[in-house]
Amino acid sequence: MSFKNILENFSKYRRGAEEGGHHEYEHRWGMAIDLNLCIGCNACSTACYAENNLAVVGKDKFEKGQAMHWMRIERYWDDADAGRDFPEQGALFLPMLCQQCGAATCEPVCPVAATYHTPDGLNAQVYNRCIGSRYCNNNCPFRVRYFNFWSYYESSWPEPLNMQLNPDLSVRDKGVMEKCTFCVQRIRTAKDKAQRENRAIVDGEFQTACAQACPTGAIVFGDTMDPNSRVTKLWQEHEVERGPYTSKKPKQNAELRGYRIFEELNVDPSIMYLERVRETEV
Amino acid sequence: MSKMKSVKIDRRSFLKMLGWGGAGTALAGCDLPTTVTLEEGKEEVVSYLMPEEYVIPGIGVWYASTCLQCDAGCGLHGRVREGRVLKLEGNPDSPINHGKTCMMGQAGVQAHYNPDRVTSPMLRKNGTLQAVSWDEALSELNGRLGAVSGDRFAMVTGTVSGHQAVLVSALMEQMGSSNHFAHETINARVWRQVCEDMLGDPMPRLRLDKAQVILSFGADFLGTWLSPVHMATEYAKFRSAPRGMLVQIEPKMTLTGGNADLWLPARPGTEGALALGIANFVIERGWNKVNVTPNVRRALAEYDLPKVEEITGIPVSKIKRIASLLSERSPALVLAGASAAGFEDGYESVAAAMLLNIIVGAVGETIEASAQFPEAALLARQGSTADLIKFAKGLENKAFDVVLFANTNPVYTAPEALGLEKGLAEVGFKVAMTQFPDETAMLADLVLPLASPLEDWGTHVAAYQAGGDPVISVQQPLMEPIHKDVRGFGDVMLGLLKARNKEFEQFADYYAYLKTAMLNMPGLADKDNKNDAAWNNLLQKGLLSAKPAKGKLSIKAHTVEVAGYQHSKEYPLHLVPSARLGLWDGRHANIPWLQEAPDQIAKVVWDSWAELHPKTAHELGVKNGDIIRVSSASGSIETQVYIHKGVHPDVVAVPMGQGHTAYGRYAKNRGANPLKVLNPITDKKTGELATHATRVKVSKVPRKNILVKMGGSETQMGRPLVRTVSADQFRRTEGEG
Ligand code: SF4
Ligand code: SF4
Ligand code: SF4
Repeated sequence: MSFKNILENFSKYRRGAEEGGHHEYEHRWGMAIDLNLCIGCNACSTACYAENNLAVVGKDKFEKGQAMHWMRIERYWDDADAGRDFPEQGALFLPMLCQQCGAATCEPVCPVAATYHTPDGLNAQVYNRCIGSRYCNNNCPFRVRYFNFWSYYESSWPEPLNMQLNPDLSVRDKGVMEKCTFCVQRIRTAKDKAQRENRAIVDGEFQTACAQACPTGAIVFGDTMDPNSRVTKLWQEHEVERGPYTSKKPKQNAELRGYRIFEELNVDPSIMYLERVRETEV
Repeated sequence: MSKMKSVKIDRRSFLKMLGWGGAGTALAGCDLPTTVTLEEGKEEVVSYLMPEEYVIPGIGVWYASTCLQCDAGCGLHGRVREGRVLKLEGNPDSPINHGKTCMMGQAGVQAHYNPDRVTSPMLRKNGTLQAVSWDEALSELNGRLGAVSGDRFAMVTGTVSGHQAVLVSALMEQMGSSNHFAHETINARVWRQVCEDMLGDPMPRLRLDKAQVILSFGADFLGTWLSPVHMATEYAKFRSAPRGMLVQIEPKMTLTGGNADLWLPARPGTEGALALGIANFVIERGWNKVNVTPNVRRALAEYDLPKVEEITGIPVSKIKRIASLLSERSPALVLAGASAAGFEDGYESVAAAMLLNIIVGAVGETIEASAQFPEAALLARQGSTADLIKFAKGLENKAFDVVLFANTNPVYTAPEALGLEKGLAEVGFKVAMTQFPDETAMLADLVLPLASPLEDWGTHVAAYQAGGDPVISVQQPLMEPIHKDVRGFGDVMLGLLKARNKEFEQFADYYAYLKTAMLNMPGLADKDNKNDAAWNNLLQKGLLSAKPAKGKLSIKAHTVEVAGYQHSKEYPLHLVPSARLGLWDGRHANIPWLQEAPDQIAKVVWDSWAELHPKTAHELGVKNGDIIRVSSASGSIETQVYIHKGVHPDVVAVPMGQGHTAYGRYAKNRGANPLKVLNPITDKKTGELATHATRVKVSKVPRKNILVKMGGSETQMGRPLVRTVSADQFRRTEGEG
């Protein structure tokens, strides 16, 4: 999208969820992540490093919070463990990545519109427009934006590690913000292919790298506008709908497992999580 | 490609050379794949025999191969573009991994493109390793091999299977030596022995998908046990409606433990007593599905619950609950892994778990006879620590003049107490076939640089055969070697064989050997034309399934004797050298992605750490990041503390993987290696290293450190990020399946 277009149609790309958000969607890519299946194994996260040219920053920079893990697996101990000798119910794992919000809080604060909403429902980052203000990062409730404090090209990919770099996307340089793109290069390839073959994209014909790798199939990726996609069906089954937060309840249907993290912030996340199931009889 | 030379040999020895021992009838019905696998969204999956495909500009092409990052044998698809392999995914046709991989599998490309590979043969001259040509290296090696006789030659490898195993056996035969040692630190050797003795099948198929309750004594099946990716795919079925329940008993929370519905630490080494107590209670209540002999019954009766509570520290109420779950939620499945097996009576503990399986009727329900690949010569020679110990004994007795190491790094993994380094100093000539400058290579007299698994040919028969029909998985190069002076393992072995047996000269290279072998597979259905097209199809598909040599399970329940618990004043704590899905036994410490990936439980990166229970930490007066010294009778290590409740208060758990003294920039001089300080205690029955039996004492070192880990808060601090729902509600809304 050109900068001119952004300036001219600024408000259109800045519409909040309650105003209907961005209107002319072609696709709205989304996910369903089942926490009953996720085992916290890191396969998805490592697959993302492999697919998306993520820099390895090393111990010192990791300590400063400069790691670039677009997909990170949070491990929480149960609050209830405080009163027990042992974490008898195991740990809690949470795959956390950019939620590609429909009304993203990171977008309106960017002074140069380097992060904007695409007609695919993606929260895109234009690297060569980014000036590194990091406002978006401050404004992301999920903490999934990662800033290149350094130039990692040489330190992260000493020869011949650089031969592994995916030529379908760039290596980001110092001063630029980056984050999960829903593997936009894979989306691009699939769209081009479908167009060449004069057909619509078929659900499942491509996946994000994380969903592809996940051994338990916890991550389901697809177009939430395609009524037949697996992801749409899961959202429907669990009665989670896109749009603004109106119900004032923590979940749209308390009896079902679907929920969106921080839905109450009205950011309209594109990822539905399914609650972790816990045995009560032990 | 194969240049047949005219050496006359009869068909039988020809087949034997290729690993076919005449199981023709058993193999009958093997079909070569005839279709090209076209996965949606993937460009065509092609075979290696279209080398020009390596270089179609801008187009990614997928080739099938096999993952060698651990010995589970997952099938791969590698995306190749402009002659470089960029990304690995699982082969969807593989019954082992169904298109999936683990984090180590994903990182295979970083082993391949690692900046610290060995790129040229090196020969020790005047005390230092110096680059030499292959000609010089091989003439030196062949000279040494020619001068050594019989058992004075030893070969040490990791788990090896398929045609590589055939060549290893052939070389051992040529050398007249029986001293091939297969070494793996992370193994299921004790489990196998128990299965063989009590079920008549060393590697039965485990039906996690059928189980309604799994009771696991430290079997980290989601992370490091048997076949992790396969188990995780089965786990997904186990957890879908009707949802099975997981109870995990272990001294330190593993990845699997982190996913349990009930996680409990028994006092280390008392898992066997706990299993017997549960078994006793099950029988007492008449919940058993299978009757035991009066002998076994009498032996079990010794384990009344108060006594078991006293031994294990697990309250009677919990033991009762677990016992009743096993019968309420049938079918059940009981597993036992490293933390149960790693003691002097480890075999007995695992046998106790198996006895429980028998009693609750799991055998035949969730435990099925294995479907083994019917060709013995191609089966996996599974690595163990018993072999490492035997090798160390041999060194101590000065039994070897020439030792050939291949794809194994025992100088790193062997406990100091085995005296490996000292013993090796006495060996006249040591050769390391390796990709990396590891600790073993550093001590070698000759280092032969191997091609990476993504540059090499091979066939692999996984020890744990997951599907209905066993498969042999093909490993084909995903690109030309990055470094021109490396050679494939099979090529080097074939070269050594040719120098000793003219019959091998008919194969120009290992590729020609493999192709001949696969196309001469006895019993290959006649309708398959055994030609280039058939070979091509095989490479496209990446695997071949055979009709299984289907076994039958025959139960032999015997009495089990576990030792009582011994307290130690001098060494009050137990050292748990925990295995990580990631760095594994240390072989992946040179992979930056895996160093930077937070440990699944502790979330620590780029270092070692010692896990302590808050109670223990309090007694020692240590906080997160403090440095402690962990001392056993065999030595000591120092590392930083990470405190959490997922570890028994009598335990200090230090993960394996770090503490390398060599092995490239990412691994060297980072953290500590707990394997070094293990006492040389072994399981009485199998001779396996009792990895969890070492007692230690811990002292504070007056040095501070910042614990570098992912995540600021250890809990959700009341925020509902990970929401949970009760299994009751899940059953109500998502049904019984
Ligand atoms: S969708 Fe793609 S970019 Fe986003 S976390 Fe998954 S692999 Fe990474
Ligand atoms: S790969 Fe799947 S199971 Fe593993 S951490 Fe990611 S989402 Fe969870
Ligand atoms: S379990 Fe992981 S490392 Fe082992 S073979 Fe499978 S993908 Fe490779």
